[in-house]
Amino acid sequence: MDAKIKATEQETGMKQGHVLDLKLPIGWLLSIYGLGLGVYGLVTGKEIYEKSLGVNVNLIWGILMLAVGAGFLLTAFLKRGAKG
Amino acid sequence: MAPVITLNAIDYAIISGYILVMILVGYSLKKYMKTGEDFFLSGRSLPGWITGLAFLSANLGALEVIGMVANSAKYGIATVHFYWVGAIPAMVFLGIFMMPFYYGSRVKTVPEYLKLRYNEATRGLNAISFAIMTVLMSGISLYAMALLFKLMLGWSLTGSILFGAVVVLIYVFWGGLSSSIYNEVIQFFLIWLGLTPIVFLGLREVGGFAGFVAKLKEPLLHSVKFLGTSNNPLGVDWFGVVFGLGFVLSFGYWTTDFLVVQRALASKNINSARMTPIIAAFPKMLVPVIVVIPGLVALLVLPEFSQSALPSTEYNSALILLMKHYLPNGVLGLAITALLASFMSGMAGNVTAFNTIWTYDIYGSYIRKGKPDSHYLKMGKYATVFGVAISVGTAYIVQSFPNLMDYMQLVFSFFNAPLFATFLLGMFWSGATGWGGFFGLLFGILTAAGHYILYKLGALHYASDMAANFYQAWWAWLTDFVVTIGVSLFTKKRDRADLVGLVFGLTPRAKAAARWLARPAVWGTLAIIIAAVLNILFW
Repeated sequence: MDAKIKATEQETGMKQGHVLDLKLPIGWLLSIYGLGLGVYGLVTGKEIYEKSLGVNVNLIWGILMLAVGAGFLLTAFLKRGAKG
Repeated sequence: MAPVITLNAIDYAIISGYILVMILVGYSLKKYMKTGEDFFLSGRSLPGWITGLAFLSANLGALEVIGMVANSAKYGIATVHFYWVGAIPAMVFLGIFMMPFYYGSRVKTVPEYLKLRYNEATRGLNAISFAIMTVLMSGISLYAMALLFKLMLGWSLTGSILFGAVVVLIYVFWGGLSSSIYNEVIQFFLIWLGLTPIVFLGLREVGGFAGFVAKLKEPLLHSVKFLGTSNNPLGVDWFGVVFGLGFVLSFGYWTTDFLVVQRALASKNINSARMTPIIAAFPKMLVPVIVVIPGLVALLVLPEFSQSALPSTEYNSALILLMKHYLPNGVLGLAITALLASFMSGMAGNVTAFNTIWTYDIYGSYIRKGKPDSHYLKMGKYATVFGVAISVGTAYIVQSFPNLMDYMQLVFSFFNAPLFATFLLGMFWSGATGWGGFFGLLFGILTAAGHYILYKLGALHYASDMAANFYQAWWAWLTDFVVTIGVSLFTKKRDRADLVGLVFGLTPRAKAAARWLARPAVWGTLAIIIAAVLNILFW
């Protein structure tokens, strides 16, 4: 019995699994960035986009990042749902 | 001096958000760091996609991004050789042929493999030289980051060095290799998202590739065509590029540098370990999109880089000037964060490699053997602290070298080139003996050093510093190879039983993965084919 307990103690740590689904921090970070940039893109005027050849990069990139971030979060939650 | 770029609240919010995430990842991993294997090897539990992307990101540090953009402005499209010739073949070779011995032998570090395969002396030589090299590299990453902050924010050099060092220290101390790996994967996405806007805007402004063709001198537009001629932008002939860069330097780095190999060793099984460098090879092929294109754009768009510019132009500032030129606040903050991310990954990678080698190969082998695992885990944490401290000191040494990239190649070729010969013979020739390995490595390193001294004294002549570096690597490798074989023929052979799992021919071949799509050989071959096609397209 004792030997078995010792063995599991050694095993704990990273091998536990469920450590940290990396898709979550990536998903959240990109989604929040996307949202922030998108909103900033909406509220800022045309002048700052002169250097970016007239393109509202903040808005476009913000939407793109939000989409990518949401995609990560979706896959993370779907996986959790399937497991649970 | 006024800062080049002015950041506002949203930029700082983006930067702060990222720093917070890095620290939070480290914090959330803290409780899983129970054993040495957890801290130094992520418990050997990570899936291939994570170790693969981390493998690439650990390499995609400060030098890659800024230095390669600078090289592209200086040498043109020939810079792709650093990727398509200088990386892909080596990465694939590592995954398919060498991983079975690295991962299968359950070694924790590269020097440990050398101890098992050769002898203690060989391990010591590699461990000590690597430990020194890795803190030099860490100092380079730190200095490059500090330089950026100085230009960007007008921050003091010292302040930035300390700030970066403290953040990396915190998350590596808490989460070990896992922290470093997880943050590297996040960085991978940020680097692409942060730098791609410049690519799109730059191409739009110059008129796409047609614009490059119309406005740039021809030698800048070809990767292979001009290598044999006097118009050679790289100053290195094809032999130097293929054998110096493509073979020796490239393989020497990707197959033996513990910084990258460590990430593959953290994989959860042998198949993931083999796929790690191969998975990394695909995005690696695309990296020229975010470094070579901006470099060429810089030549056409930035007043400081007009083609009649003096040779002393500070090429390293190309990327920052492009950011200032194109990006409004918002995505500008994102681009700066992407660079910050790449600096951090470089430094954290060096720190985790250092603390592992120090703890197991130097401290655990020569200073205090036979202690329980918890003792070494604690030492690992201490090593993280003093490793960061030494890096800070090293950052000041780096200030004397103007071209960061050439400096890196120089250091690598002293140690990595000969080491590759040692590994090649060790893994594929069972006749290589312990002392063969040691003397081969020793003489290889001495050849590299000697070659460098002769070149600097003017006794050897090459077209450029880069050519000298490539040839230096080649000669160092060749010396190691020949000396190892020579000494091995005259020294005591190892018992074959001891070598099982370490050498080709004495290791049972693992069954190929059942699913065709899971086989490293399949994907590795695909990567080579694509890289070859790209070379032809841009020749």
